[in-house]
Amino acid sequence: MKRISLKWPLIIFSSFLSIIIFIVPLYGASLYSFRGEGGKGHSLVNYQWLLHQDGFYPSLFTSLKLAVLAGLLNLILMVPTMVYLNLKGQRYKSLVDFLCILPLIIPVVSLAIGAQVAMPKILQNSEYELVFFFVIIALPYTYRALDTSLQTVALKTLVEASRSLGATWTRTIIRVIVPAIRSGITGALFLTFALSIGEYTITSLLHWETFPTWTVVAAQQNILGAIAISVFSFVGAIALLSVIALFSKKSAQKAEVEE
Amino acid sequence: MEVVRAHSRARSGGRGTGVLPLLPFFIFTGFFLLWPVIAVTLRSLHGNKNEWTLANYRPILKSGPYFHAFVVSLKLSLITSIIGSILGAFFAYVIVKYARGKFGAVIDSVSAVFANSGGVPLAFMFVAAFGTEGIVTKLLKDLGWDIYAGHFTIFSFTGVVMVYSFFQVPLMVLVFKPAIAGLRKEWLEASTNLGASSFTYWRRVAIPILIPSFIGAFFLLFAGGFSAYATARALTVGTVPLVPIIIGTLVDGNVISDQANLGDALAVGMIVVATVAMGGYIWAQRKAAKWRNS
Repeated sequence: MKRISLKWPLIIFSSFLSIIIFIVPLYGASLYSFRGEGGKGHSLVNYQWLLHQDGFYPSLFTSLKLAVLAGLLNLILMVPTMVYLNLKGQRYKSLVDFLCILPLIIPVVSLAIGAQVAMPKILQNSEYELVFFFVIIALPYTYRALDTSLQTVALKTLVEASRSLGATWTRTIIRVIVPAIRSGITGALFLTFALSIGEYTITSLLHWETFPTWTVVAAQQNILGAIAISVFSFVGAIALLSVIALFSKKSAQKAEVEE
Repeated sequence: MEVVRAHSRARSGGRGTGVLPLLPFFIFTGFFLLWPVIAVTLRSLHGNKNEWTLANYRPILKSGPYFHAFVVSLKLSLITSIIGSILGAFFAYVIVKYARGKFGAVIDSVSAVFANSGGVPLAFMFVAAFGTEGIVTKLLKDLGWDIYAGHFTIFSFTGVVMVYSFFQVPLMVLVFKPAIAGLRKEWLEASTNLGASSFTYWRRVAIPILIPSFIGAFFLLFAGGFSAYATARALTVGTVPLVPIIIGTLVDGNVISDQANLGDALAVGMIVVATVAMGGYIWAQRKAAKWRNS
């Protein structure tokens, strides 16, 4: 029986659909952001306005700082946890699995209200409280990323080899396991970083100023400037993630060849 | 430090039965995840004079602005998750089938950005495209369709539906792609060898296998749409009454309620709805896993 090939009609139709849904708003916004003074011509005036606004650099710096800290804390907490879980702690796995999916279930708004009620004053008075909640919000994703890459390596063999050669646990984790699950670790790190840097809900409900909350305030003065920020952060994020994806694909292929 | 200590404890604690190495994780999630949820639940059960009461939940359950907010929120998440799951499933199929290698990797990251970086930038982008002065609005007007002729504005319910679909569709792509990729070639070959047409294969084999994953993904989208805050907040500044937005205005003190802990009750109400939706997700995931393992 002959099959009719739907390949090109499907590709053309879905490209058309994705252009309408995704490209048009993005393109519309970029055009808008390049508008000149008084809406005429094309210029970079909106992007320049941005750089000269009060609070642009401080809020960007705060966001970067918190995001880096969240990424690091996340790894310090989750890498040993996941390694132990896959090595010996099998019977706690469903409990950890459940705790890690909870942040998807509990609405961030509710978590923020809860944080206001539950956190001790000393923590509530410091912007660093956000770091802990960024780590919580990223848990479902980092759990998945680390778990997937841990399952692809022969963890037990690696650990036994390293331990029998006299390495301590710390050394085993840093020198043997971490390099073996590099892709999972980069994934977890970047996901936490990306989520943290764009996080708005919990930040604004706890009344802190980071880049996203600053943007919303700035937008009230100059919507064109806010659109410029939006386009910039969208395109930037896509470019960054694409480079990472291509790079990690390449290194994965290289690793296969080496083996 | 914590880590090092935890592991040396594990070593001294004998062979692999200890829970000690997991303590940092349990303490962390207990304090920053479970405790806030417990605390907000407890406070929602207390009245203005700190007495135990269910009074905070009354405005949610009888008709009025808070009940209405739940209706609007549920409607919004239902509509956008239907749109998102159907369109997203279609895209996922085309991507799995035809986008390979580097192009596939780029599409993956683009979907991840669209699905996750939602929030604030997304709202402003849609204002630029579909606002009264928006580029797309003008383009459509030139083509003879004035989208602002009727009741539509980007700041209305329909506007929010459009913007939410923008992140629901790629989220569906991310969640549903593994299910489609898991359809084995052998199944198609087997059914073809038995004389089935392409249509029969889809009706009798592929769709029954994919249905649980599809339903699971739908629930996930529903929960996500219900809980979303940033986009609607930046876009509407409160013109569309959604539960998270109302909680936000209560927290900011923009709205004075005579019930001090009403916001807590709304927050717990959201947890309940999201839990039901995620229960559906987990249930459907189990069904889907059964197929894959057999």
